Amino acid sequence: MTKKINILTSKLVICFLMLFILLGCSGGREINDLEIVIGMGVDKDENSENILLTAQVVKEGEMEKSSGSGGGEGDGKAFWNVFGTGKSVFEAVRQITHKTGNRLFVSHNHVVICGKDLALEGLQKYIDFFLRAHEMRPTTIILIAEDRALDVMNAKPETEKLPAMNITKLVKTYGFTSHFYKVNMKDFASCLMCGTRAPIAPLVGISQDKDNKDIYVSGMAVFNNDKMVGRLTEDETRGLLWVLGKVESGVLLISSPNKQGKVAFEILEAKSKVIPEVKDGKIVMHVKIKGKSSLSEQTTAEDLATIEAFEKMQKAQTEAIRQEIMAAFDKSKELNADIFGFGEMIRKKHINKWKSLKDKWDEIYPTIELNTDIEVKIQKTDLLKKPVSPGKEEK
Amino acid sequence: MIILIVVYILILVLNVPGLIKRKEWRELTAFSVLYVIAFTLGLLYVLDVPIPSPMKGLQHLIADVLGIKYPKH
Amino acid sequence: MSIEKGKICNLQLLFLITGFVQSSVLLIDFTVVITEHQTWMVILAGLAIAIPFILSYVALAKRFHGMNLIQINDAVFGRFLGKVISVYYIFFLMMTLSFNILDVGELYATFLMPDTPFIILLIFFTATCAYAVYKGLEVLARVSHLFVVVGVIVIVSTFLLLIDQMDFSNFLPLFELPFIRIFHGIHIMLSIPFGETIAFLMIMGYINKTEHMVKNTLIGLFIGTASLLIAAVRNTAVLGNTEAIWTSPSFQSTRLIDIGTVLTRMDFLIGIAQTILIFFKCSILFYALVVAVSQLFGLKSYLPLVLPLAGIEVIIAATVFQSPVDHAAITQDAGIIYSVPLMFVIPPLSLLIAKIRALPKAERGKGV
Repeated sequence: MTKKINILTSKLVICFLMLFILLGCSGGREINDLEIVIGMGVDKDENSENILLTAQVVKEGEMEKSSGSGGGEGDGKAFWNVFGTGKSVFEAVRQITHKTGNRLFVSHNHVVICGKDLALEGLQKYIDFFLRAHEMRPTTIILIAEDRALDVMNAKPETEKLPAMNITKLVKTYGFTSHFYKVNMKDFASCLMCGTRAPIAPLVGISQDKDNKDIYVSGMAVFNNDKMVGRLTEDETRGLLWVLGKVESGVLLISSPNKQGKVAFEILEAKSKVIPEVKDGKIVMHVKIKGKSSLSEQTTAEDLATIEAFEKMQKAQTEAIRQEIMAAFDKSKELNADIFGFGEMIRKKHINKWKSLKDKWDEIYPTIELNTDIEVKIQKTDLLKKPVSPGKEEK
Repeated sequence: MIILIVVYILILVLNVPGLIKRKEWRELTAFSVLYVIAFTLGLLYVLDVPIPSPMKGLQHLIADVLGIKYPKH
Repeated sequence: MSIEKGKICNLQLLFLITGFVQSSVLLIDFTVVITEHQTWMVILAGLAIAIPFILSYVALAKRFHGMNLIQINDAVFGRFLGKVISVYYIFFLMMTLSFNILDVGELYATFLMPDTPFIILLIFFTATCAYAVYKGLEVLARVSHLFVVVGVIVIVSTFLLLIDQMDFSNFLPLFELPFIRIFHGIHIMLSIPFGETIAFLMIMGYINKTEHMVKNTLIGLFIGTASLLIAAVRNTAVLGNTEAIWTSPSFQSTRLIDIGTVLTRMDFLIGIAQTILIFFKCSILFYALVVAVSQLFGLKSYLPLVLPLAGIEVIIAATVFQSPVDHAAITQDAGIIYSVPLMFVIPPLSLLIAKIRALPKAERGKGV
């Protein structure tokens, strides 16, 4: 009897003692101690060779106030841009603790914006931290600012409380126009790693409208290895996306068959297939594109819902797409940057021939020919069968 | 350091009385041998004395002496 | 004179083997540096080559029913040579167990709990394994069902959630890498997931019916390898050529899951599944080690040796390598070479000798 009590007591004592050892992990951090970073910007410091790191930190108290109210304490900003300088990104990050008192919690970081001066100099030196750091995610979007990243981070948007979330939303919804493309860290790193493919990243600019600053995406930056060498306009980017098969939706504008107005089509779906062909040292890329569109707007009163009109418009669409693709292709040849990934495609399908082409890729790329085969079907005309037009009186 | 000693005394207390009571001498000897080795290793670790790593020795033996190794990729 | 009083049934053997092979999912991450996008074919080739050897282990277990590896060594090679070979096996088991414990420690130290002191992680993990071994083989066999199911669910679900981000052209070109790398990769595959099943020779002796052992072992192997294959395919398809730079491609590819802004940050799933699976493997290895040592000393029960061996293993795990860089470099070279005779030479040799000498002799009284 006493023995049983002894055993029971000793077990209880051990359990009690274990409470002290097993009280959670020593690496735990409470939420109030976290500085939640939602966006980071990297620039070159004006005065020195250092890097200026801007981290956008969420202020939880301010988040609850509605975005329109100007009253109350504080300036109504739900975020705080903290700056740190250092010779390397990690050093700058830790420098920021001089101002915040807590370590930055970058697990929620959505976007990394690089200033244009850094992009022109070469990004290889700066992205290692963003890939290697323990809390960073490979889904972080990378952007290049037209001027300085900290200006972009400061621009307070109208409908969103936080600029970084605003930018993320902007870039993620590229599908509405397909005029730019979302590039995350993993994609960027993947392009950098294979020596022939040119990475691209969206360019973000600020438009000053009285005292409102609006952020908008102004095109795509093209890199050669890690240095920015040029930009793609909206049409050129869409040309690129046609070839990559990443067009989700968008507007195709063509002249109407009777040349009196314009017709706008909404792109419903687009698929592409690229077949590389290497013959006698000459490279020809066969691009096959199949698309579906719907008639969304017409400015003439002509009735376009006829078979002949459809045929003409399909041809016009094909031509418009072809022009976009060729614009992208010509720009890439001019910049000598393989943004389409043609080198990779040849490596994957024709590994033997690739071995001899690999080293001379810079010279070979401008000689590539593009052969397009585009087919677009108009699937529907939305809600109108015939356009609104003045009735012709029967005479 | 203290944790080490406490843990090892605990191990001793949990195992030895049962072994002695059941007169399992062979088990007791095997236990003692391993116990002493474990305690010494733990002590060396806590005192920051470098413990030779068997794998490093094996690596040296296989790669340098016998010459069997894979080329660096 | 059996050390283990429990018996396991055939179905449990299947799950034990599946769980054992599955727990090498993070090993794939380590092989990717060498074989990049051709890891999937290395896994399949490894399986194909390993099957005859594993079947020889099963044949040995069937022939010497009820005896574990140390007893088999004594019977086949005679008392002195048998004991020498048994010491070799015990050294191998100790090293392998410490590598696996170190793997878990590195997993936590790099990804999940980077601020916790390393030795504490090792101690807690080893203590749990020791407890599992203390409870006995039957308990381990019973929980194997649960662990295998968890492993399969995690691997399959992470695969399915990433389908829209997969780019299957990442597998081309099919035969890009030089053969020496493929050979190295196959060697690693053979030694680590498949060769370490030699530890099962300590367990297969306690199976209650030997008729379907071969079938169960093979099914277990296939399901385990299928899990490895799904993980390798997922990593290559999602990450493409960046696969080789991450410390753990499995973690990084799971971090890319981003469905409806709700299903994000799923890398904890991999952490949980991997911890459970490696715990399972370590328990089996630990069990094999403890029983082997007690059999060598001729003891009646293995229980008293559990805790001292756990203490030794923790210290070996903490000191054997300085950093993951060391760990990877040495395991790729010496680690897989020193175990080759153990896994691929001695068991078939034992089988041959047993056949020639018509062992086990009937007077042993085990009733084959």
